Amino acid sequence: MGEHATVHATMRIALLGVAAGVQFGLSLRQLAGHEYRPTWVAVAAFATLALVTATAAVWVVRGKPLPRTVVALGTVVSLTAASAATAVVPEGGHFGAPDWAVGLVGWHLVLLLLDRVPVLLAALGTHLVVSAGQFALAGAPGRAEVGAAGIVALGTVSMQLAVVVITRMLVRRTGQAMAVAAERDRLTTRVLYAEQWEREQRTVFAGQLGATLPLLADLADGVLDPRDAGTRRRCALAATQLRRLFAENDEVPDPLVHEVTACVDVAERRGVEVSLAVSGAAVAVPAEIRRDLTGPVVAALSAARVRAKVSVLRTDEDVRVAVVADAGAEVVAASTARVEVECGTYGDYLRTEARWRRNS
Amino acid sequence: MAQEQLTAVVIDDHPAVRDGVAQWLAAGTPAIRVVAAGDDVRVAWLGDGAAADVVILDLHLGGPAPATADLRRLVQAGRRVVVYSMRADDAIALRCLESGALSYLTKAEGAEHLRQATIAAAAGRAYTPPALAGALAGDRSERRPALSARETEVLVEWFQSESKEFVAQRLGISLSTVNTHLEHIRIKYAMSGREAPTKAALVARAIQDGLVRLDDL
Repeated sequence: MGEHATVHATMRIALLGVAAGVQFGLSLRQLAGHEYRPTWVAVAAFATLALVTATAAVWVVRGKPLPRTVVALGTVVSLTAASAATAVVPEGGHFGAPDWAVGLVGWHLVLLLLDRVPVLLAALGTHLVVSAGQFALAGAPGRAEVGAAGIVALGTVSMQLAVVVITRMLVRRTGQAMAVAAERDRLTTRVLYAEQWEREQRTVFAGQLGATLPLLADLADGVLDPRDAGTRRRCALAATQLRRLFAENDEVPDPLVHEVTACVDVAERRGVEVSLAVSGAAVAVPAEIRRDLTGPVVAALSAARVRAKVSVLRTDEDVRVAVVADAGAEVVAASTARVEVECGTYGDYLRTEARWRRNS
Repeated sequence: MAQEQLTAVVIDDHPAVRDGVAQWLAAGTPAIRVVAAGDDVRVAWLGDGAAADVVILDLHLGGPAPATADLRRLVQAGRRVVVYSMRADDAIALRCLESGALSYLTKAEGAEHLRQATIAAAAGRAYTPPALAGALAGDRSERRPALSARETEVLVEWFQSESKEFVAQRLGISLSTVNTHLEHIRIKYAMSGREAPTKAALVARAIQDGLVRLDDL
């Protein structure tokens, strides 16, 4: 569709030039140089054909396809004008120099009907039959005159048909070229996408490793004391973050619960007694939302001392991931753009809840 | 009648579970006596088991298919059933409530919840342990009853914390209000779906207790 439109639009601009050029460059001279009776019919026919070209130009110069009504009207008007002009040709002038309309109107028809080939062929055929009829009615032509007329008719029509054939070939070639270009574009996009994905993965990993690397450096340099409770808590946090990060790219049916389980796993290895409860049927949660939902779990579990309860609840409206634990330390977790986080201490207990409203 | 000791029958395919449950129930206050136990539902229909106040039923007796037909028959006979299951499966828990079980506990939930559930069941009352609260809160079925925002919050908080004191503190309400909300929710569930004698009794009991008024229904 696209390539058709482009080729047709370009060809029409050329045809517009041809129609105007033939009419004003060749036909005008004939109109002025011969005597037509009545003269006004020939002049009116000439003006009408010029008007058809001008009307078509309104769409053609903007590269727009011609509306159906313009095409239908233009075809009928052109054919009528041409036969009117032929009707007033002086005797013996049929298919000759005075009969300027016989060759000219073919260009108008090609201009109007370039993308409607069957209709174009029918219109050109009608034109030839009518012209031949007028030629025959104008007085019994001799064999030589018929032959000359045939050569003129064949010459003009074959040039016009050649334009149609060239257009069709161009359409096909352009189609192939555009398909190749589109495939190349798709490949380029895919390569760019893959590169960007890899870059993002690196940044995400680097971003989430951020807490781990300085911690390891400080431990190695002896800046931090591994026996210190604060250091141990930072290690627990880093370990949970890493474990959750590794779980993030696993192919599992319920990634959220998988990531929460990974956090629970690390806490249990640390000796915390954790119970995990999951309720409500699984729903799809985008990766970045999962990161926001499990962030507070990581923080709360690494602060838990002896016991913790982790729960995942999925309802019609929201997904809520909560931790209630006997806290050994304050936990700070902030809300993100799409996940509300609530954090609080109640007596000896710490509670965090991350809540994603699915429809917001 | 009120002075008599509460009795229960335990149906479970593991002897250790049967003995453990009997031990747990006997050790609490008030003590509950397990009068019969076995790995077949028949113990609840014959002998001492037929007269026990509460039936504690393991839903997965030896096979993968849950014993829902057995549950339904017991409930139809007016027996007060506490389902005690290995699996924390929301859909099965909701189906048991629909059939008329007074409580659904997972074996991970421990002695205290089982005792509470048994005492409540003996009086024809429902008990909602945290896992069941989660199942109710996550219920997305068409015919689920409409809960108020407060009721939903209580369910969710109870599921999350497993501590009613914690829920009361968090929401700034009294412990008894927490319980009232939970009972209200269960009555709403008892009034939805299939009819069962125990569900009707639960609603009647709630009216008697002044938990709901007739014009609320």
